[in-house]
Amino acid sequence: MFYIIGLGLGDIKDITVKGLEIVKQCSRVYLEMYTSILGSSLEEMQEFYGRPLLLADRDLVEQGADEILAGAGDEDVALLVVGDPFGATTHTDFILRAKEKNIPFKVIHNASIMNAIGCCGLQLYKFGETVSIPYWDETWKPDSFYDKIKLNRLHNMHTLCLLDIKVKEPTLESLMRKRKEYMPPRFMSVAEAAQQLLAIVEKKDALERNTVLNEQSLCVGLARVGQDTQQIVVGTLQDMRGTDMGGPLHSLIIPAKEMHPLEVEFLQQYATNIKLDDYNH
Amino acid sequence: MVNFTVDEIRGLMDKKRNIRNMSVIAHVDHGKSTLTDSLVSKAGIIAGAKAGETRFTDTRKDEQERCITIKSTAISMYFEVEDKDLVFITHADQREKECKGFLINLIDSPGHVDFSSEVTAALRVTDGALVVVDCVSGVCVQTETVLRQAIAERIKPILFMNKMDRALLELQLDAEELYQTFQRIVENVNVIIATYNDDGGPMGEVRVDPSKGSVGFGSGLHGWAFTLKQFSEMYSEKFKIDVVKLMNRLWGENFFNAKTKKWQKQKEADNKRSFCMYILDPIYKVFDAIMNYKKEEIPVLLEKIGVTLKHEDKDKDGKALLKTVMRTWLPAGEALLQMIAIHLPSPVVAQKYRMEMLYEGPHDDEAAVAVKNCDPDGPLMMYISKMVPTSDKGRFYAFGRVFSGKVATGQKCRIMGPNYVPGKKEDLYEKAIQRTILMMGRYVEAIEDVPSGNICGLVGVDQFLVKTGTITTFKDAHNMKVMKFSVSPVVRVAVEPKNPADLPKLVEGLKRLAKSDPMVQCIIEESGEHIIAGAGELHLEICLKDLEEDHACIPLKKSDPVVSYRETVFEESNQMCLSKSPNKHNRLLMKALPMPDGLPEDIDNGDVSSKDDFKVRARYLAEKYDYDVTEARKIWCFGPDGTGPNFILDCTKSVQYLNEIKDSVVAGFQWASKEGIMADENMRGVRFNIYDVTLHADAIHRGGGQIIPTTRRCLYAAAITAGPRLMEPVYLCEIQCPEVAVGGIYGVLNRRRGHVFEEAQVVGTPMFVVKAYLPVNESFGFTADLRSNTGGQAFPQCVFDHWQVLPGDPCEPSSKPYQIVQDTRKRKGLKEGLPDLAQYLDKL
Repeated sequence: MFYIIGLGLGDIKDITVKGLEIVKQCSRVYLEMYTSILGSSLEEMQEFYGRPLLLADRDLVEQGADEILAGAGDEDVALLVVGDPFGATTHTDFILRAKEKNIPFKVIHNASIMNAIGCCGLQLYKFGETVSIPYWDETWKPDSFYDKIKLNRLHNMHTLCLLDIKVKEPTLESLMRKRKEYMPPRFMSVAEAAQQLLAIVEKKDALERNTVLNEQSLCVGLARVGQDTQQIVVGTLQDMRGTDMGGPLHSLIIPAKEMHPLEVEFLQQYATNIKLDDYNH
Repeated sequence: MVNFTVDEIRGLMDKKRNIRNMSVIAHVDHGKSTLTDSLVSKAGIIAGAKAGETRFTDTRKDEQERCITIKSTAISMYFEVEDKDLVFITHADQREKECKGFLINLIDSPGHVDFSSEVTAALRVTDGALVVVDCVSGVCVQTETVLRQAIAERIKPILFMNKMDRALLELQLDAEELYQTFQRIVENVNVIIATYNDDGGPMGEVRVDPSKGSVGFGSGLHGWAFTLKQFSEMYSEKFKIDVVKLMNRLWGENFFNAKTKKWQKQKEADNKRSFCMYILDPIYKVFDAIMNYKKEEIPVLLEKIGVTLKHEDKDKDGKALLKTVMRTWLPAGEALLQMIAIHLPSPVVAQKYRMEMLYEGPHDDEAAVAVKNCDPDGPLMMYISKMVPTSDKGRFYAFGRVFSGKVATGQKCRIMGPNYVPGKKEDLYEKAIQRTILMMGRYVEAIEDVPSGNICGLVGVDQFLVKTGTITTFKDAHNMKVMKFSVSPVVRVAVEPKNPADLPKLVEGLKRLAKSDPMVQCIIEESGEHIIAGAGELHLEICLKDLEEDHACIPLKKSDPVVSYRETVFEESNQMCLSKSPNKHNRLLMKALPMPDGLPEDIDNGDVSSKDDFKVRARYLAEKYDYDVTEARKIWCFGPDGTGPNFILDCTKSVQYLNEIKDSVVAGFQWASKEGIMADENMRGVRFNIYDVTLHADAIHRGGGQIIPTTRRCLYAAAITAGPRLMEPVYLCEIQCPEVAVGGIYGVLNRRRGHVFEEAQVVGTPMFVVKAYLPVNESFGFTADLRSNTGGQAFPQCVFDHWQVLPGDPCEPSSKPYQIVQDTRKRKGLKEGLPDLAQYLDKL
């Protein structure tokens, strides 16, 4: 049997009881560690689960699926995924591959950032399409997510922005060579995301009448959701650009233009220097 | 005794209208270095009697031994031009008022095709070219190549017919035949000029014309030369005709009837061609009298031509006397100097029309304007065209031309390599110039500073530049354009130290070698092999010798030379090729197909390029190659290196976010077109069409890490399914020989897969010229083979001409291309066997 197990967001103890039981009985357990990170180190996890874990980087998960699935027909193999297996990171292709090989599989769900953001008080029902904000480099500056934020705002929906995480990503130069070199790990902070968003705002302002966002637009910054050190800040994009929210991972929410009074009330707890009631955004 | 001081030269450097920067170019063995001696001796740097034998500009030991120029050599000289000649300089920007002194910066360049990159580097920093043609052999393949390059760089040519002594002494041509020979050469040269220059263009009319004095005649070896101007001056008083008018009469269809004393336009029984009568006859008489020992005639003749022999020359006879008489009568230095001063442009004139060819930036920025005006008070713009080794091992002078501003010892400058992009920091250094120096052939002289319009060397810049670069003080300056070479490094050898412990020395030596030669490429293969790539066998031989003796100073093991190949396709992909990204969320669909004949060459020549306006380019492709205009407008890029002869074309219909992955696709394409699927060689003449793209909804899941490798896999799949082929480089080979040897040439060429496409007798000589195409791969040892089969009478000149498809399917284990692919893969340390399509192609 092949298991794909969600680990949740917080720390090692967020694994479900069911999940933990399976982990203990499996012959091989892989930990996917490139799409998200947990608040605990690998050693702590191994100690808590009482067994060794195999690290699975992007190359192994994307191109070495056969290696992970090998033998899963006869014995139990598990892949641990931070968050939920079908949450922000999509491991659907993996399931299709298992099916192709007639390997039986089971999914153990857990909390994902996609639902945990409810913690800031915005209703999950009112979220539109989720977007990711990728790290820009000198030539690659995609801004298509801005159009999605625009559509969400138009339909009066909140937008969850997942922020780029680069763990063991090959450098662009080394992609062109046969030997891969990896960039140092990087996690986009709320401040960096706000900075990039404002750069797009500036670009759009120069081109057209831009009414989607501006420096004074309200946004919610979240850090380490689900962990003990969780932090939520509400402020304008401009404020957010200068806000340091500490260690990874960060997420950003652009709320809808009109909010439910309860949503406003809840958010107000996190807004220190704005009065949300009369804030016109 | 040198006739001038460095101070005099420095003084003249400010008189920019009196400067002439020139190169001497020609086919190999047509006598460039020998002729240059005449000027060097006139400047007093070598003794007059030694001129023609010293080859002062052949500074290297091997150059002297082999009698061949390998490196171009620069020399600055000071001359004074007489008042009577100054009036011929009519253009206001061609001379400073009240200044007789002229500064000539001359670069003597190699004639052998293997070293033509040296010519390119020389042309870049000069404004005029003295084209030397051996009047016995006529215009040869390399004459045409260098002339074409000169015109393309907007270098104004003047012509010199060399080796007249051979025409008279060996071939015994009569006067009319010799005139016809000259006439033909002038015509040939003008045809080449007309082909590559538009009379209405910025340079205006550049053809050479003996009656204007822009063609010289003579013998560099014997040290004498003349233009029609000299003879016209001798006769003008006698005929009471103005010198300029008389020059027109002395060339072309002008005949003089001695009886009626009338000029006529047609040949008749009792008239004679003026050129023969007034110019060739006296020369013939001198030759005849001296060479046939007509003792009593000699003094009479000498008096007529106004030559008084010095006491020590009185005893000479035969050739020695002939030389002395001729060089006293018609000193070569004087004739050349006049040609140069009158007909070659000053930097002020030349930079006006050359700027747009030289500068990459906007043509109205501060640097462009200063270059255009040759403004010494503007920002410094200097182009470094090559590195010249110093006596200090491993260090180089950076040699180049100041186009505007002043470069001075201790000045702080921006040193920009060819990969510098304005606004970025790569390939950019801000350093002080340690020293500026004047290049004087074998010597260098320190100089305080050098203003615009001059050529000089810099100390302390070599460590920041590989081969070439731009030096400026203007912070927003763009690069000067990189040079385009007429030859490619198609022949390569692998080297390794005999003693493995010497590897660091080899690596250091290779770095120095790469610096010292404008063209040579030193590459490290994946397999760890060190490869040296050069233009031909001789070029490689010299490079290896330099590496072994000067740069690395260790004994080396060298592999047999091999050529580089190109990978192409011969039909459209037989299926739509799909590749999925590693995360499976992105899909690319592409096909490959060959470009129509001629298009890859158009791209090589820059007729079709990434810099064209896309609409203009699309129209051109539609008209010439029947491309669909709407499709042709959507060429994403050329490759490899952004300029190569392959492109990728967007044939998709409204795919969302396509522009966000364009950069990644382009990067993947650059990679794949540089390292082809079959043998890791560059691709050539392949067009890739992207038909459809499916992308993940989220930008993070379609970044470079996902798209670049996928593009490469998809391109490879497309190439494998489109009938992959190999292309090999082919030389155009020109062989001169007497008739008896022609048969032997055919034999040798047949054995080496060569084929003759032209065979003709050189008019007026018993020599034959055979032109053939010869695969470079078959050219190793060709020269020696040819000599031994023709009794040493045939001498070939091979120049890279084109790429040719190697017949046979490289996927077919019995074919020749298969063998080459396997050998290449093995050499490069790649997996042997054929690439597996399944690795690159994904199922839907």
